[in-house]
Amino acid sequence: MTPGEFRWRVAYEKAGRLRYLSHLEVVHALERSIRRAGLPFAVTRGFSPHMKVAFGPALPVGTAGKREYLDVWLTRFAPSADALDALQRVTPDDLGPHEAYYVSDAAPSLTAALVIAKYRASVEGRGIESEEVHAALSRLIGGGELAVKHKGKQKVFDLARCVPEDPRVTGRPDGVRIELTVRMGPQGSLRPEALIRAALADIGTEASVVRTTRLDTLVESEEGVWSRPV
Amino acid sequence: MRADLWPRLEPLLARAERPTRYINREWGARHAPDADYRAVLLYPDVYDIGQANQALHILYDRVNALEGVAAERAYLPAPDLIELMRSEEVPLFSLESCAPVSSFDLFGITVPYELTWTNVLEALDLSGLPVRSRDRGSEHPLVVGGGPCVFNPEPFAPFFDALLIGEGEDAVVEIVGVHQHARAQGLSRAELLERLAAVPGVYVPSFYEPRRDDTGAFAGVAVRDGAPAVVLKRVVPELTAHRAPTCPVVPFLDVVHDRYALEVQRGCTRGCRFCQAGMVYRPVRERSADDIVRDAVAGLGRTGYDEVSLTSLSTADHSQVEDVVRRLTRRLAGSGVSVSLPSLRVDAFSVDLARLVAGAGRKSGLTFAPEAGTQRLRNVINKNVTEEDLLTVVDRAFEAGWRRVKLYFMIGLPTETDEDVVAIGALVERVLTRARANTPGPQRGSVRIAVSVSTFVPKAQTPFQWEPQLALDEVLRRQQLLREHTPHKGVELHWHDAEVSFIEGVMARGGRELADVIEAAWRAGATFDAWTERFDLGRWLLACESAGVDPTMIANGERSPDKPLPWDHISAGLPRGYLVRERERAFAAETTSDCSFGGCTGCDVCQTLGVTVITGGGRQ
Repeated sequence: MTPGEFRWRVAYEKAGRLRYLSHLEVVHALERSIRRAGLPFAVTRGFSPHMKVAFGPALPVGTAGKREYLDVWLTRFAPSADALDALQRVTPDDLGPHEAYYVSDAAPSLTAALVIAKYRASVEGRGIESEEVHAALSRLIGGGELAVKHKGKQKVFDLARCVPEDPRVTGRPDGVRIELTVRMGPQGSLRPEALIRAALADIGTEASVVRTTRLDTLVESEEGVWSRPV
Repeated sequence: MRADLWPRLEPLLARAERPTRYINREWGARHAPDADYRAVLLYPDVYDIGQANQALHILYDRVNALEGVAAERAYLPAPDLIELMRSEEVPLFSLESCAPVSSFDLFGITVPYELTWTNVLEALDLSGLPVRSRDRGSEHPLVVGGGPCVFNPEPFAPFFDALLIGEGEDAVVEIVGVHQHARAQGLSRAELLERLAAVPGVYVPSFYEPRRDDTGAFAGVAVRDGAPAVVLKRVVPELTAHRAPTCPVVPFLDVVHDRYALEVQRGCTRGCRFCQAGMVYRPVRERSADDIVRDAVAGLGRTGYDEVSLTSLSTADHSQVEDVVRRLTRRLAGSGVSVSLPSLRVDAFSVDLARLVAGAGRKSGLTFAPEAGTQRLRNVINKNVTEEDLLTVVDRAFEAGWRRVKLYFMIGLPTETDEDVVAIGALVERVLTRARANTPGPQRGSVRIAVSVSTFVPKAQTPFQWEPQLALDEVLRRQQLLREHTPHKGVELHWHDAEVSFIEGVMARGGRELADVIEAAWRAGATFDAWTERFDLGRWLLACESAGVDPTMIANGERSPDKPLPWDHISAGLPRGYLVRERERAFAAETTSDCSFGGCTGCDVCQTLGVTVITGGGRQ
């Protein structure tokens, strides 16, 4: 704990066209918002001083987020409501902060604490039936492992561990909606889209569009109970 | 109602690299969908490269401030998206409304560099517009260009309806006004162009017909009645009247020069004879220290950047730069915001400035441009720098903790001999020795001298506009000679691609016949020629042949100051007599002083344009 610093947690969304931002672009954009808002952010000491700020788990390019988090350390106390209002005024709409509160400096970092992610994916395509998709997902998850290639590298995910809940699949006029829970890990997290595309391939179909939104990121207590970080 | 291309573009973005280039919604972007008159401003390269262009930020600000007028931005998509757009028949779009560029009233294009001209054609074609002005009519946007290349506009002139020569702050307002009026009156495209030609600084290429003599040599232009015989560049008398944009668009993407850029002065009168910018952007007009500090603080606050760059052709020449840097570093202390100076002179004062700016923080690297290896050649080009200046700079920089400097040199300067080339290597060696001598023993291994060597390309409107460019094979021989005479350990030697410089040289001083070459090269697939990996000399040589143009005559041929030049009807305000005099002084290795500090050197810009040098917050 640095004396005189206040750790302020902000929940923000990543929506609309801004879901095409990369994680690094989101980081830079929100750091710039914090500077524009004139918040009394702390600056790291050292050779190349920068804003003391930490972000939750990265979202891929193209994936939206309803409730993403950052922690920024402030050098003086500012009422959360005022600071949030100031931040909202200078942040592009689709990256809007919607909740903020102070947290203990002793709390674990966001990336360490947030281990569960809830996703919703809208899958568009002809002849994609909810029951068939659900069965394919269950088969894949039951089968154990999924190898995913991303940027030329192959990663193997243990699906029983990575997908702790049975996915929910609902029929839509133009395809299906899938709700999926993923356990994130320090070695990289399973992208729902990869699992969904693999399942569709198994049943010999293909989606024209998969639009993914991370609805929530959660902490897990020792008893295995999931909740929002406080 | 204008078409919104987003629903057709979005599915392509999932397959495109860096989709952030195309999504708009940045902080500072302005969107006025209901404006009656709409302009779109294009930088003819990808967003990453064009976003930082300060001229477009200024024009975007100016046009959007007009009642009932909106300006949007456009960039050329990267090759991967262009391919997708062409196969899905999605035309070039503006960022703010994602509307087809062809649906705008005005299509403004900045022309920053010779090798972006094929991109201009790509942008016009991708917009669904005929690439030549003569094939466009009132149903198409008015295509107006501007930017550094217009001081010899002839090679690309036929692609534009009009070109603005010089500074656009006031002229863009007049151009929009004339177009609005013409539209309201229902004037034809030809009538509109006539009115535009009457706007000071506006060049309407179709009113100027190049002529040839019996031998086929260029013999001046025939000017249509009513158009000015010579188009004189526009210039704003002082920058104070035009506050720097304090909330330019802040990109999401990690772009080139991703920082708040504040123009602290315009013009440079050092008088380097090779430098086109130094000749065509005269006179020097400084912003006052108070204005700079005010705008820097305001701009940082509104944009949220963590770095402010004090830009100009030679920021260390600003008469109050030390005061500005001291005040800014004091104001910004502890905020994590840094100040950067893009261009330093070769003198001790510049190193002191760099020390002020760096403070206790990271010392990333310093860049200096001695340009030539011998004093004789530096005098020829009027680069008023001595070897002692350079070595003193190196002493100070390495004493202060820098471990890397970058030096810019050119080969192929007029009168250059092998001795001058070899001298670059020897000078680098002395720099390296001094750098090591001023570095504590254990750190000496980390000393680096980066040496960047480009090929001199003679440019229009400079004292060297008549000089032959060094032939390509001779450039390669001198590069090899320099390689053999430059120390290897501790030195990183970089070359500017000699083939690219050759084509740049052809474009820089060619006439209107080059339009056929550019079009042929583009039709053969040339785009993004400024990206070395996409540049193909063979394609350009074939294009020259198909158009019946000998590129070596243009770049490497001898020219006499008595003969007309293709750009004689375009004036930066410098009379031929001044350029000839400077050329003669160059061959006599005589230097000319800087009029911003010493007396007037007779370039006549101030008299011709009715302006004065402005330094120290006042006029001289």
